[in-house]
Order: sequence, then structure tokens, then C-alpha cells
Amino acid sequence: MDTPSDISDPTQWLETPLSLLAPLESALRCQVCKEFFNNPVITSCCHTFCSICIRRCLSAEGKCPACRAPDQELKLRRNWAVQELVDAFQTARPSVLDFSTKAAQQAQVEEREQPVNKKRKVAPVEDMQTSEPRPERRRTRSQGHYPQPEQHAAIDTVPEVIEDSQDEDEYIPEHGLVACPICNRKMKEEAVFSHLNVHEESPKKAPPNSSFGPLRAPQKGLVLSGKPPERIPAINYSILKENALRKKLSDLGIPNWGPKQLLHKRHTEWMNLWNANCDSKIPKSKRELLQELDIWERTQGGLATGPSPFVSSSNVMRKDFDAKEWSSSHDDDFKRLIANARKKAGAKIAPATETAPTPPEPLVNSSLAEPNIDTDADHVIDLSG
Amino acid sequence: MQDHLPPGIAMVKSENLEEWQMDIKVLDTNPLYLDQTYRLKFTFSNKYPIEPPEVQFIQCAESTGTPRSIPIHPHIYSNGIICLDLLGSSGWSPVQNVESICMSLQSMLTANTRDERPIGDQEFVATNRRRIRDINFVYEDDNV
Repeated sequence: MDTPSDISDPTQWLETPLSLLAPLESALRCQVCKEFFNNPVITSCCHTFCSICIRRCLSAEGKCPACRAPDQELKLRRNWAVQELVDAFQTARPSVLDFSTKAAQQAQVEEREQPVNKKRKVAPVEDMQTSEPRPERRRTRSQGHYPQPEQHAAIDTVPEVIEDSQDEDEYIPEHGLVACPICNRKMKEEAVFSHLNVHEESPKKAPPNSSFGPLRAPQKGLVLSGKPPERIPAINYSILKENALRKKLSDLGIPNWGPKQLLHKRHTEWMNLWNANCDSKIPKSKRELLQELDIWERTQGGLATGPSPFVSSSNVMRKDFDAKEWSSSHDDDFKRLIANARKKAGAKIAPATETAPTPPEPLVNSSLAEPNIDTDADHVIDLSG
Repeated sequence: MQDHLPPGIAMVKSENLEEWQMDIKVLDTNPLYLDQTYRLKFTFSNKYPIEPPEVQFIQCAESTGTPRSIPIHPHIYSNGIICLDLLGSSGWSPVQNVESICMSLQSMLTANTRDERPIGDQEFVATNRRRIRDINFVYEDDNV
């Protein structure tokens, strides 16, 4: 495996006796980004994705990526249970994987020491996949197979690991958070005192419910969490003039430079980032979101290099260059350049400039600059060679 | 990941996140593709997985040590471009991935019995300059 160790992957389980955890881990990952669910939300068709992933999908296509049912971002609902599953799994993952990997290595070492029993390497996997996964049975078998003391040691650690996560009274899913002494809701340390006022004002609203145990506390807290940040509503970009849109962006406190299409894309991305953040248990600050928007700007927005429609780059010479998209995204540029050229050259030469506007860069191939620029790409492109 | 791919699919190149190459084989006894391995090129835009990757078969010369040809198929042009709704903007879904695309192509080849290129192959190969995902294929044939 040349995968860097900091990138986790469900297939890491496959090499270990706990190979059945691979599908479990896959189920805890978003089908779009393949990462663990981050602020999972559920669609009207009951599929779960990261909030930001499904928002980006819906603003691109308006359909659920899993089943193609039409859906709207307004109908997305948080899926806290999944978030808790992911948090708990991620907390347990390093130690379980470590334990399981060590067990696998140990089995290999023993195999080298005792090459008689060929079944051993296969046995754990077979056990796990073909019969019901009963670790006890496998353990009994392996104990029977390898009575070495090392093996006993490894086996004996199994209950220990489980105990670690179950018996801990102060179960803390997120680092750096402390529990409210009254309702057990997890929060930043500095937020506890102001939070306590809530209980003073309405002491009966949050009675400690110990019957569920400390593990249930986070969910209760989530339900009670204060007023969420206000969501940004969607805009119908087609009815909004460029200047109005530009103003909207500056009102939101995000960059407002670039052509209208870029303003539109930036607003959509900001809306998605913002509204996904509203689904978060621990919302990020606006500054962090602005940093994320800045990353978007550099990778997919106006500062992106490579095949972005907003950026002048050498991709116009590629054979797969999309002239239609180019001409629409640069429509304003073309118009402005034509206007400038007309102004300079005067009425006499105007007809000529119409057929040869100066493009933003030396891309052309006169055919692209012809007035029929808005017609179908088939007729326009002839950039062969 | 390369250790756990489905049978008949192998990763050839994946050093960066822009272009990958995969080898696929048809696993049954379809005489059209028997004992052949085909090379696929995946090109990912920075909008992947919202937008589909561009996927096409590529040829490799004998001298590379891994000779690869373009499989014959009524939906695969002789320049390697594949007519599959999954790879177009309309059929794509962000839940697809490299593995699922490879499996779809395996089954697309397996199911084929016609030893022919698409209609208008020569003309298409000579004139097409569009991006793969912008080609408006008509997916009228559900049998292949």
C-alpha cells in the first residue's frame, strides 16, 4: 500500500481479522466525497450525504445523486444519529485498527514459525465472511490452533479495548469540549457559564435524564442547541441584474469582483458553505468559511488555473476546448472589447471589428470570433491541429 | 485501494488527481474480447465528482510492453471515445467512481455480440473536437 498513513480507507480493514468492518466503515462515509459523513443530512428520498456535498449536487443538478429523485435543499434535514455514529466510530477507529493490524501481523509471524497449518491465514477471513461473525468462536478456534503465549496476550486485550470505550464515565466525542453539569450537553469550556443561564431561566426544561446514560447526552444537547445561524436563501440569478448581484455579494461580506457568471458561482458556493455550516453541531466562524471560499476561489473560482471557464489559460488550444462555454463566459469581455475597438477605430472600420474582436488572449482562429459565436459549438470550432 | 479491486480491473497509473489509467478485462468467454486487456484513461476536472470524469479507451504500442487496442463495440469509436450515458452530464451521478465506471464498461463489453463500430465512426473520428461530455449522444439502444 502506498497510501499515506494519514489517509484512512475502508480497505485498511481487509488485511486484518476484522475485515467485516470495511463495509461498516463504507456505510459511514459519504457516497459523494468518500470521506466520513460531515454534518450528515437526509434527503426527501431518504439518502444521507454530507451537508456540503448534497448542497453542491443539488445546486448543480437538483437531483439526488443516489437515486436521481428531484429534491430541494430546503427539504434537507439533519441526521444527528449518523453524526454520532461517525463520531463514535472515528474515535474508536485508530485503536481498533491498531489492535487488529497487530493481530494480523502476529498471525503472520506465527505462520512463519509454524508453517504446517496452511489454513490459518485464510481462516479468520473465511470465518468472518461465510459464517455469522462470532468473534468468540473465532477466538476459541485460534486459541486451539495456536496455543503460544503471545497469542493469548493478543486475545486477552480484546475485552480491554471494548471496556475502554464503554465504561468511561466521561465519554467525550469531540476533543476540547466539556459537558454542562446540568444537561450534559457538550460545549466549549468558555461557553459553559453563559450556557448555565439557560437552566436558571427555565430550570424544568432540561432535567438530567440519566436513564439513557452519558452516551445519549450529546443527542439531547443537539436538539436543545440554541438558535441556529440564519440560512442564506437561494436567489434566482436570471432575474437579478449584475450590479444587484454584486451588491448582494458585498452585503454578504464576500468578494464581489469578476463577471456575472463568476458572481453567480461564488454566491452559490458561499450559500452552500454557509447553509451546510448551519447544519453543524459546532458551527465554524465566518472567518473560517471565508477561508474555505478562498480555497474554492483558487481551485474552482476566479483564481483557478487550468480548465476553468473564468480564467484565461492555454486550454483554448486543446482539442476538447469548449467554445460554447468560453463564448458565453466571455460574452461580456467580447462585447466590451468590440465596443472599445469601435470607439478607437471610428465608424469607418467598425464593420471589420465586428468580425474580429480582440479576444482576451491570442486564441483565435478567426472562426471563433465570427458573429455566429453563440450558435452551436459544432459550427464554431475548428481548432484542429 | 489497488489491492482490493474487483476481478479484471487493475490500476495502472494514479500518481496525480488529474489523470488515471486503468486496465480492464472481460472475464467471460465472449470471443470478441477473449484474453484481451484494454487501457482506460480517466481525466478528472476540478469539479469531479460533481461533473463526470472524461473516460476513453487508449491505445498502447507493442513497444511499451503492454500493447493495448481499442475494443470493438457498436458504442465505442475507433479513437477510444465511449458512448455511455453514465459518462455524460445527463447520466452521471457523483456517487459513481472509478471502480463503478470500470465495472460498467466491463459489463458493456461482456453483453455485446456485435463485431462493429458505431455508425459514422470514420466521420466522427475525423471531425470531432468537442469535449467528451459535451457530445450529445443519443442513447437509444438500451440493449448494449
